[in-house]
Amino acid sequence: MSSQDEGTPGEDTHINVADGIDHQVAMVMDLNKCIGCQTCTIACKSLWTEDGGSEYMYWNNVETKPGEGYPRGWEDSGGGWQSEEHSDRQPGEIPSQEDYGRAWEFNHDEIMYEGSDEPLRPREGAEWGPNWDEDQGAGEYPNSYYFYLPRICNHCTHPSCVEACPRSALYKREEDGIVLVDQDRCRGYRYCVEGCPYKKVYYNTVSKKSEKCIFCYPRIEGEGPNGETFAPACAEECPPQLRLVGFLDDEDGPIYKLVEEYEVALPLHPEFRTQPNVYYIPPYAPPQHSDEGESVDVDRIPRQYLRDLFGDRVDRALDTIERERQKTRQGDDSELMEILQDKNPAEQYRLEVFENE
Amino acid sequence: MNENHRALGAAALVAALVVLSTVVAPLASARPAHEIPVVQNPEGSLAATDASGWEAVPAADIHLTSAPSGVPNADDTTIERVHVQAATTDQRLYLRLEWTDATRDANASDIRGFTDAVAVQFPANRSSRPPIAMGGQNNMVNVWYWGSDAGTQELLAGGAGSTTPFQNPAVETDATYQGSGENATWTVVYSRNREVASANRTAISTDGNLDVAFAVWNGSNGERAGQKAVSEWHYFPMSGGPGGPPYETLLWTVAGLAVVAISAVTAFGVHRARGGME
Repeated sequence: MSSQDEGTPGEDTHINVADGIDHQVAMVMDLNKCIGCQTCTIACKSLWTEDGGSEYMYWNNVETKPGEGYPRGWEDSGGGWQSEEHSDRQPGEIPSQEDYGRAWEFNHDEIMYEGSDEPLRPREGAEWGPNWDEDQGAGEYPNSYYFYLPRICNHCTHPSCVEACPRSALYKREEDGIVLVDQDRCRGYRYCVEGCPYKKVYYNTVSKKSEKCIFCYPRIEGEGPNGETFAPACAEECPPQLRLVGFLDDEDGPIYKLVEEYEVALPLHPEFRTQPNVYYIPPYAPPQHSDEGESVDVDRIPRQYLRDLFGDRVDRALDTIERERQKTRQGDDSELMEILQDKNPAEQYRLEVFENE
Repeated sequence: MNENHRALGAAALVAALVVLSTVVAPLASARPAHEIPVVQNPEGSLAATDASGWEAVPAADIHLTSAPSGVPNADDTTIERVHVQAATTDQRLYLRLEWTDATRDANASDIRGFTDAVAVQFPANRSSRPPIAMGGQNNMVNVWYWGSDAGTQELLAGGAGSTTPFQNPAVETDATYQGSGENATWTVVYSRNREVASANRTAISTDGNLDVAFAVWNGSNGERAGQKAVSEWHYFPMSGGPGGPPYETLLWTVAGLAVVAISAVTAFGVHRARGGME
């Protein structure tokens, strides 16, 4: 595994920003804080995907891991790159509507207006949907386990969706590396849907064009009512505030420190080789219990499962977190623990650092 | 006596040439490989796929192969031929395309669904023949696209990936899907006013050859973009060309012989005059 595909070690300060990109937006999500409340999902949905044809889309979704995810089986749907050369793409599939889940219709009318006493429920066809396998997880009592995985577009440094489009309708924005679909250029071919290994590009059957997370670029550009800059809605609305938003190449910011210096924030599925710019603090679960309820020295979340998700660097990341936790337990200062508690809102969202360039 | 023989011989030669021209003309009208006949002002309407005017218009059988393209599965195409009929009136050019497709893929409400489509490609500027695959940057193509869900689009392209729709298409279409099973066919009629003022629209004049190429997509095979069955460049002889009626050939033969005879007589006269002076 080369160091290039997952960010370079902290010793040198080279940042892997894509060619031709001035700065790269990035997000760090601390999985230890996610409570699976879906507030991010709804914040995104009510902003961007309520129009016709986008009902089934969740540009931001939260899925239970271990689990099938959204769309179902996305991790095995192909896409990404065959090698670090980023010359040949891996073939991919377009998920079926069933794997995404359909927008259900509920019996609101019967209950609200017709006096029915049946329970509120989807009318029919509710057999799968986003986070259908909520909290199912894996393992046996008392050592069952699960955690939540919030997912948005990774705004990759080597976006295979961009390369997949024969019309260059998808592009990586020069000023901040946000990956966008030009709705005027898109002709609905869906090579981007196939090509994204995270299945974060969605086809709209009404507009006949593809759509995706836009990193709330109007908010970060200060296009809101007061001309203020806001972080993406999924981050701002998060009750436990588990997301940091800024630029990967802002060397004074917490994201740089977590990703490049401490190397505790890791991309999801680095083996897809698209080099994501959303990073995760891996879940740090308590150890397994014996039948008597005593802690035993066995990982509750199998380490191999975390390696499958975040690559082999997860071992070192968890070791680093453990070491820094130990420091604070002993009463020492730990910059890493301070950052992970993000008590300073000005540090949590650093979106105006390059504004005067 | 000698004079009489000579006159008889000349008369026989002329007669033989005229007869030969009427016999050879129909043979010569057997079309060159890439020519698609254009019938001028056939009787009856041409606007609909089942319009009566098409009965008098011969069809050319155009062979299709997978387009060279970098998109996935570009070699996997299913439509192998398209029948093309062409006719002109004083105002419009009409094209009727028919091909066999066992599946009618016209519903694009499925995320995984692709729809049947067809396109006709012309040089945007007829002064030279553009690269066959969507033209080139300095040599663009004007494309008449019909999709079973998208309807009619008029496009301009200067190379693969550059296809851009016109705001207001000048092309009209009528389409039907008939039959069932393996013999089911799509029929699409295109028409455009011959006089359309636009820099990027192909001029449809009544002279010369009009280059044309075709593409067909079978939606149920996932065909879209560069995954399509395409033809080579063909052409429409817009003036009628060698496919015109035989009496035209006859008249041209007679006129040609007249020119030859007058030249010969003149040359003979000059020769004699000079001989007389000697």
